[in-house]
Amino acid sequence: MFVQRRTKGGIFAAAVVAAAALVASALPAHAETGVTSSTIKLGVTIPLTGAAAPGYNKIPAAMNAYFSYVNANGGVNGRQIKLVVKDDAYSPAQTLSVTNDLILKDKVFALVGTLGTANNEATTRLVNSQGVPRLFVNTGFSGFADMKKYPTTFPLFPSYATEAKVMGKYLADNFAGHKVALIYQDDDFGMDALKGFSTAGTNFVAKIPYAALSQAQEGVVGTWVQNIIKSGADTVVMFGVTSATGALALGLYKANLIGKVQLILGSVGSDGTTLKGLVGPALTAALAGSIAASFLPSPADATDEYITQFKAINAQYNAGATFDNNVLVGMNTAMLTVQALRAAGTSPTRASLIKAIETKGSTWASAAFSPILYSPTSHVGYTGYWFGKLGLDGNAVSVDGPGKYTLYTTDSGSAPVVKASATRPAMPAKGLPKN
Amino acid sequence: MKISSTYKKVAVLAASALAALAFTSAPTAAHAAPACDGKVPVTSCIGATSDGAPYSMMVPANFNGTVYLYSHGYRYNVDIPSAIPLIGGYKITNTPQPGPNATIIGYLLSKGYAVMGSGFARQGWNGDSGVATDVELINTFKTQFTKTTHVIAWGESLGGFITQGLAEKLGTQLSAAAPLCMASSTVEAELKMAGDFLWGVKTFFDPSIKAGNYSAGAAGYAEAMTDLGKVFTVMGKLQAGIGKELVTGAPSWPDTTPAAVKSMLGTIPSRSALLLIGLMAGLPAQSAHFDGTTGPGSPNSSSYTGFALLGSPALAILENGTNAAALAILATLDVEQQAGGATFDNTKTDYAAQVASEASTYSAALSGSTATNGMLAYLAAAPRATANPAAVTKMRSLLQWTGKISVPEVTMVGVSDPITPAGDSTYLANQYAAQYAAQIKANIKNHLPRGSSNLISIYGLTPTHYTTFDATGSPVTSTPAANGTNHCNFTTAQYKTVADLLAYASTNGKHLSGGPLLTAVRKMGGSTVDLKFQAALPKYYSQD
Repeated sequence: MFVQRRTKGGIFAAAVVAAAALVASALPAHAETGVTSSTIKLGVTIPLTGAAAPGYNKIPAAMNAYFSYVNANGGVNGRQIKLVVKDDAYSPAQTLSVTNDLILKDKVFALVGTLGTANNEATTRLVNSQGVPRLFVNTGFSGFADMKKYPTTFPLFPSYATEAKVMGKYLADNFAGHKVALIYQDDDFGMDALKGFSTAGTNFVAKIPYAALSQAQEGVVGTWVQNIIKSGADTVVMFGVTSATGALALGLYKANLIGKVQLILGSVGSDGTTLKGLVGPALTAALAGSIAASFLPSPADATDEYITQFKAINAQYNAGATFDNNVLVGMNTAMLTVQALRAAGTSPTRASLIKAIETKGSTWASAAFSPILYSPTSHVGYTGYWFGKLGLDGNAVSVDGPGKYTLYTTDSGSAPVVKASATRPAMPAKGLPKN
Repeated sequence: MKISSTYKKVAVLAASALAALAFTSAPTAAHAAPACDGKVPVTSCIGATSDGAPYSMMVPANFNGTVYLYSHGYRYNVDIPSAIPLIGGYKITNTPQPGPNATIIGYLLSKGYAVMGSGFARQGWNGDSGVATDVELINTFKTQFTKTTHVIAWGESLGGFITQGLAEKLGTQLSAAAPLCMASSTVEAELKMAGDFLWGVKTFFDPSIKAGNYSAGAAGYAEAMTDLGKVFTVMGKLQAGIGKELVTGAPSWPDTTPAAVKSMLGTIPSRSALLLIGLMAGLPAQSAHFDGTTGPGSPNSSSYTGFALLGSPALAILENGTNAAALAILATLDVEQQAGGATFDNTKTDYAAQVASEASTYSAALSGSTATNGMLAYLAAAPRATANPAAVTKMRSLLQWTGKISVPEVTMVGVSDPITPAGDSTYLANQYAAQYAAQIKANIKNHLPRGSSNLISIYGLTPTHYTTFDATGSPVTSTPAANGTNHCNFTTAQYKTVADLLAYASTNGKHLSGGPLLTAVRKMGGSTVDLKFQAALPKYYSQD
């Protein structure tokens, strides 16, 4: 038999609650979920195992390294940040299951940097119904900026549509007259890109779709190569994840096409360290000269103040991890998160966190050269890219020379692509935000 | 857990009494009063209501005044020939069922509660007659056992539907209620999922399946039995084909697939087509043995990822769809015969819109957007099913529940229940939320305490990983269904917790709340009682 204990001051409490909320609750009233006087609990889902794990599996450790650094320096308004990391193996079903755990069992305050378009789609009903802030999602699907459909979600990366428009402009400016083929992941990721290329007026001699992760299946990459040869393309745009870029590189190598076709890689599929792990140093070196779009500075740029600071933190708190694009993404996401938490106030709530991002997020320090467009009417994050060439080590160096970044900005719609000088807020002293 | 000797004795008696009931000839005429055996420590009574529904009552010697009225779920209202796989040999039965199972009946009796339940006068979809039977049964019990002070109603599946209908009809004459794994608010909503799935199977895999619009009388029965055989056969072919596809990567469609489908969609794996129709119908993409997250071998191997992402969701639809197909066909036949014609109509159904969010989530398993759009285009152009307007009107006159709640209620359902989707319970919660908000507003206006919620919604969650594989790497399907999957798949602990919650609410006039509630739900395992948890609504409600 159950025993219901009466709480002191129950009648008074009931009156207060009645005035505050109309929604039914048989559950206890409490302070904001995931926040105590000494801690703030956050959650992230990401592939730590499986075919999509290489590269991405470095991000949580990088986030934790930055949070550890902040915690060692007093935390956020006196609270230590705790990051609960869940492996989703890139499977949407697993993402949903572990997100159930994060929200219903671990009781996280917010999700941060959750990875994958389909994976974030899979948890949207849960996230929306619980009102959980979902910060800086690791996907460029433009749909996540729809504030009606995803009211608590904040995309950070430039959209894939934006990237395709920018790439279309780059192709028009630099590859006029070339025969260009497009390989793309055949889902919202790729559909977003097709939309952008269409807006840019880019013509392809071949469009080659592939279902996500099918690059690992027998014969699939061979079909890509056959279609490239058949189309007569001399330039190939790869709009997929790095494991697909690696598979393409191996396919081109087998067909003796390395160096004979110009590769242009999307930002998602061009991490040098990951590529090296997938295809080896020799083939990575053979891909030198391939062009890649990026929105964060090159991790090899020793002149960049964000890179140098993050590298120092990485060396101290993420021992043994090679500093690359994934580590940079993790640290940059974590630094924005710290600024968001600080701005949410000394008694942060989910509502105050969302309001802080909407009203102040556009001013925060971050490594990307593009401005952030957060506002009460916009959840759009970054909007621009620069282009680089892969070096022998797989890292991109700006086509304008080391440390010189020309930014191409636009939106996910019909606005023109504009070249701009790269500007951004300075890195906070010692990498510790004081907003 | 400590089990007292008294409990053991009562539980055994309850089990033997149940077994005896099964062999007792059901009375064919109405009895004014039940026939009771007068035994101790449990008196068993049988009888029949005025509509001929046989019932049973079990009352312990230490009866505390509270009786649990149980409404059983859907039973086929036709015999099934033995040649039909899985369900062949079924004979119509109206054996009364006074509780979910003997263990739970024994548990309640050991605590001094009485139990009762009927076998209903007719099987099949029987919401209206089921409620009428239950009302009469309550009155009969109270007359026979005058010590009765509280009546708690509970039931599962269609019995959950009847329980909710009864609770809305009787209001505070009940003291608490629990519609478990409850059917949709209307039979039309319940049959839409079945209709969409069967139509998809017919369109993609075997056009000779009738999938509804059955003839009247014996001819319709024969058509439905033929459909059962065909659907099970094509599911078997799909199972074999998917197995080949996952090994070779080459599409393998059933030989009954229409030539036009093979011509237009033949390069797409059949697993993607099956998954698409399952998702558009609203079937869960996790099933008793397929979690969508686990593959054979090392988690870092391509075979592991390939199976988990590409194969498992389709196999889950296969498992769920096979389990649901029999009910889909037989319930369609039943309702059509009650309504006097075809009731399923998808002439205006936009399947692309219906599957929009799932298509994005399961893009890889659907073989990508191009393949998905191709399949949806084929479905958009395929011949549709047209209902008989008069039959639809008749169907819509059958009992519906509205979500009105007057006494404490508990719902419980697995998030991947393939027959009565968890979204049905969410729909009830959403309907009640509006009622409760209005109640609070009125109470505040009248300077009254706002009052506590009358609804506790419990959802059984699936574990992150539960698919297992044998030494050859083949998935194992002989293990018990995972928590949160299959139809009304509850543990003894879950049943007992619901029973205890109902008892508490019945005694106190309100639900257990706060920490004790959370503790109770945590202890029963595998479930959440989170207030904001929302399952996907069935497609009928057009949530997506």
